[in-house]
Amino acid sequence: MSAPEGLTTLPLPADFQRRSPIHRKLRASDAVFGEVAGAAIPVRYRDDGEEEAAKELGIADLSPLPRLGFKGRAVLSDMNTRGVTLDFRPNRAFRQKDGTLAAVLAMTEVLLLSSLDGEASMLEKLDADWSVETAEGAYLVPRRDSHFWFVITGRHAPSMFAKICAVDLRAKSFSNLAIAQTSIARSNAIVIRDDRGETLSYHLLGDSASAGYMWDCLLDAMAEWRGRPVGLNALG
Amino acid sequence: MIDEAPASTSDPRQVTAPARGRLGAGFGLLIDRGKPLGFSFEGRAYRGYEGDVIASALAAAGQWVLSRSFKYHRPRGVLTMAGQDANTLVQLPDEPNVLADRHPIAAGLEVTGQNYRGSLEQDDYAWLDHFGRFMPVGFYYRTFFKPKGAWQHWEPRIRAMAGLGVVNKEAAHGYYDKAYGFYDVVVVGGGPAGMSAAIEAGKAGLDVLLLDEWSVLGGSLAYARFGPDGREPRRLRRKLMAEIEAIATIEVMTSAVCTGAFADNWLPVIKGNRLYKVRAGQVILATGSFEQPMVFRNNDLPGVMLSSAAQRLMRLYAVAPGRRGVIATANDHGYELALDLLEAGVEIAAVVDLRRDPPPNELTDAMIERGVRVERGKTVYEAIGKDHVQAVRLARVDGRERTGEPGAAIACDFVCTATGYSPAGNLVWYAGGAFTYDDDTAMHRISALPKGVTSAGSLNGVYQLDSVLADGRRMGWHAAHVLGKVEGAPPSAPADGLSSRITHPFPIFPHPKGREFVDVDEDLQIKDIKNAVADGYDDIQLVKRYSTLGMGPSQGRNSNIAGIRLVADATGKTPDEVGTTTARPPFAPEKFAHLAGRAFEPVRLTAMHHRHVEAGAEMMTAGLWMRPAFYGPKDQAEQLIALEVANCRGNVGLIDVSTLGGLDIRGPDAAEFINRIYTWAYLKQQVGRARYLLMCDESGVIIDDGVACRFHEQHYYVTATTSGVDAVYRQMLWWNAQWRLDVDIANVTAAYAGVNIAGPRSREVVETLDTDIDFSPESFPYMGVRQGHIAGIPVRVLRVGFVGELGYEIHCPSSMGEALWDLLVEAGEPFALRPFGVEAQRVMRLEKGHIIIGQDTDGLTQPYEADMGWAIGKKKAFYVGKRAVEIQNAKGEVRKLVGFTLRHDRDPCPKECHLVIRDDDIVGRVTSVVVSPTLKKIIGLAYVAADQAEVGKRFQIKIEDGRMIEAVVAPMPFYDPENLRQDLPGAERSPDEGSKA
Repeated sequence: MSAPEGLTTLPLPADFQRRSPIHRKLRASDAVFGEVAGAAIPVRYRDDGEEEAAKELGIADLSPLPRLGFKGRAVLSDMNTRGVTLDFRPNRAFRQKDGTLAAVLAMTEVLLLSSLDGEASMLEKLDADWSVETAEGAYLVPRRDSHFWFVITGRHAPSMFAKICAVDLRAKSFSNLAIAQTSIARSNAIVIRDDRGETLSYHLLGDSASAGYMWDCLLDAMAEWRGRPVGLNALG
Repeated sequence: MIDEAPASTSDPRQVTAPARGRLGAGFGLLIDRGKPLGFSFEGRAYRGYEGDVIASALAAAGQWVLSRSFKYHRPRGVLTMAGQDANTLVQLPDEPNVLADRHPIAAGLEVTGQNYRGSLEQDDYAWLDHFGRFMPVGFYYRTFFKPKGAWQHWEPRIRAMAGLGVVNKEAAHGYYDKAYGFYDVVVVGGGPAGMSAAIEAGKAGLDVLLLDEWSVLGGSLAYARFGPDGREPRRLRRKLMAEIEAIATIEVMTSAVCTGAFADNWLPVIKGNRLYKVRAGQVILATGSFEQPMVFRNNDLPGVMLSSAAQRLMRLYAVAPGRRGVIATANDHGYELALDLLEAGVEIAAVVDLRRDPPPNELTDAMIERGVRVERGKTVYEAIGKDHVQAVRLARVDGRERTGEPGAAIACDFVCTATGYSPAGNLVWYAGGAFTYDDDTAMHRISALPKGVTSAGSLNGVYQLDSVLADGRRMGWHAAHVLGKVEGAPPSAPADGLSSRITHPFPIFPHPKGREFVDVDEDLQIKDIKNAVADGYDDIQLVKRYSTLGMGPSQGRNSNIAGIRLVADATGKTPDEVGTTTARPPFAPEKFAHLAGRAFEPVRLTAMHHRHVEAGAEMMTAGLWMRPAFYGPKDQAEQLIALEVANCRGNVGLIDVSTLGGLDIRGPDAAEFINRIYTWAYLKQQVGRARYLLMCDESGVIIDDGVACRFHEQHYYVTATTSGVDAVYRQMLWWNAQWRLDVDIANVTAAYAGVNIAGPRSREVVETLDTDIDFSPESFPYMGVRQGHIAGIPVRVLRVGFVGELGYEIHCPSSMGEALWDLLVEAGEPFALRPFGVEAQRVMRLEKGHIIIGQDTDGLTQPYEADMGWAIGKKKAFYVGKRAVEIQNAKGEVRKLVGFTLRHDRDPCPKECHLVIRDDDIVGRVTSVVVSPTLKKIIGLAYVAADQAEVGKRFQIKIEDGRMIEAVVAPMPFYDPENLRQDLPGAERSPDEGSKA
């Protein structure tokens, strides 16, 4: 997923209608963008040290990537019917064959995150197949716009979270693919642990209008361990 | 073995300065002699070493006076050398009330004393010491307010003298933050008991936090002797530290203070600039005990200190307490100190043992072997000196508070007391535990602890070192057992033979001339406590409040036990019957910064935020959101707002309305749900149409409004106010939890960005766009709603008229909001489209007579008094608040919201909340008012008495200088009353009208 640097121009967020709420901050941090799923996502940053940072403490913005939500009294069975594999267990996430992550937020709500390469054919089909007439207790919600999406990665991530979140997110207490719906820096947030190989990694989603505020809070909390932004390439 | 330390440029007046210089090897655990540092105290330069605290570096240079006492301004110096007394409070440039016996020196640190006028050595208030008889106990309550008016004379003088340090309001802000911590076991106190407990729990595989307020672990192992061989405690300390280091699950936090203990083992721990919020499965308190001072005349002189203070000075900082000293003792610790002093090469004038027949042992034998003078059955009767102790006189102990005739003076430059302890039980109290006084040991012991909390070591009444270590191991094992990590029998606990003979039951010796201080913080003498009881305040809680015993900075750590003994003696009760006062957190000083930092103040920005900033908008807060108030410099606000209004009314304007609430209501019962929640009728609302919404609570009070857009039989998109949407969402969920209608309610406010393009040319602009929506008036009438695309961006379009002009609210996914804004600005350029802000919108909506919920309504406003009766579905069987609204309406209105203009054009413009007055009564108030740039006159909304509400009636408004101006009820709306601006014929109010943005 490298940026096509052989071309004369690299994409910028303003080239697309869909933009991350913090695209200016990313540009100011010297992000190099690549086109993914119809938007510009930072694939790397111009300075060195990203790979190491991703293992120690890094943060990536994935806000423009596809995601969907469904909520309603029959949502879990509806998801199963539509081919989404999940258990009826709240606060757990389930990996799909195409890399999509299905997060069961409640018995009445599911959040679907695309894989990091932006592959979203499953999500597109779910979206296209849904209508209010046939909804029957499972309603589509626009999570691609209601929430920002960051990934925090690295072994210092739990210690960093401990500065802004009251939930114990250490590996021994918060298992892989567990979900916490909690408050981070005084703002509602969804945290999903989703390790990348041996590296601790967490998806963080929250109010898209507070994305800039949350990004700044996280960078401030990360400074103690020299945490920094990383691009999609560093996430592997 | 005393090295010559670097000399200070100290005051030549200190001709009798006590011992200077540093002790040699075996002393000075905390200092690095390879790193000298220079600092100043009271403007004079001093030197110390890295690791020194202010008090130790000053003591090494012979500077013992550190402060002046609170009431009598007596000179004060080191007492505990552990931060447990107020004698060492000093001032730093950016921080007052710093404990000099805990704060490290730094290169260039500037330190001054506190609470004096003139200089520390020559305090102008020192004369107060001679007027003590005019300040008896409780005089605060009986003086200064008689005769009448006296307080006005005294208050400024007392305020000028009161307090200790000075706050520097220009001090730079520091970075303070918090962090959570989660542990199986937290051990508070890193002395021998705490270290043993942590090791035992750690060996069981538990996550352990071991914390200590000192910079190194060890507690008393770092400075006390524990017997004739002074090397054993140091060796044991190193051994325990190595064991801790080897256990990976033990986290050690030094220089960390646990300042409280709250429910469910929630512990605040302060380390540096961070407050840790620690949650523990089990808590083991190993906080030790506070050594207690003796009470005798002039026991507050600099140079008089606790035996442990002298040991800390020597072992931790390599500073001798003086050249020639007297030790008053009632236990073995005084003899251990004597051996420490001899090892350091310090002369001992006498060991004064209050016991007539102390049990002989190796320690007492050592005194004989070394030729140390030992006086048995005697006490220090008085200390002699002016700014420092120079001699003592001894007297025989004849009984409780009785002594024989004093003997000759014994020259000395320091006095150490070792007469007993009191458990450091603050955290026990905070956690909900209790103590009882044990006559056998003459100390308090723990009588109750809450579940999940245990205690170990001297806090637990255990003093013999082997027993302390065993006690710690036992509590560590217990914690592991409770947490399911170990089974079987707990480790044994050998009996402690020391506790019953370590504390003297009454080391208090009155003197005919007084000045025997029970509480050095508050300058309280023996007679003050006795007189408090004699004045009728015979309960310890009353004694405290009447005398201020224990109310100083050290909060009774060195005074409460003596006070309890004196009250017991005066009342004939036992100390246990007297009881104790209540200890409350924090244990150690907490700065406001610890509590406040890091402050988190969420901010919400719309997708178009940066476009507003780039266009020069003056931004304003709207709850958590930032919105543009107007565009341009602040000092031109009025003109700019008028221009924005004029451009919108005459041309086309664009405003960001993304902050408004948005809710998707979907499902078979969507219409029924809307119909119940809101006041009007919605069951027959057509698809493709919008209808005004008014929401009441159960008491019939208006709480929000908006617009319901019906996109499908089973889908409503509902708008709400910026500040009300979260409450509306909660109310909807709450109601439907009861109704159980088949409907889904989703708060999609942040998912959609929104703009309102408004003005006579707005349709021309949108018709230039690449869109699949037909904007023609025939296809898209007023109050219609459509879904489609603009330049590929999916949009929901509402044709509404909050500002009273032809216009369209366009909602799109928020990630595309900036792109949509750019499209419209570009498309609008040929039409001179101009953005307008919240202020211009507020003017235009007022010209159109549209209310703002929360501004034109208050916590009691019902629909009829707000002239919103037209938005009530009168034939509906139910809506939330229906019953209350009907009852209120039947009772009749008391007030009414009306539009008004001023009778006289030249009258000043009133302000919001100016009162409507009739016959000296308040009958209403102005809610909105503006100088209308469109109508060129003042218009507003106000509540008036119901019988004043008829158009044409006059009423009085009281403006801020008290003047009354006359207003006239005006027909509404002020602007375009026939709604011609919407391109629709007819003057009737459409059923769907009154929409919001």
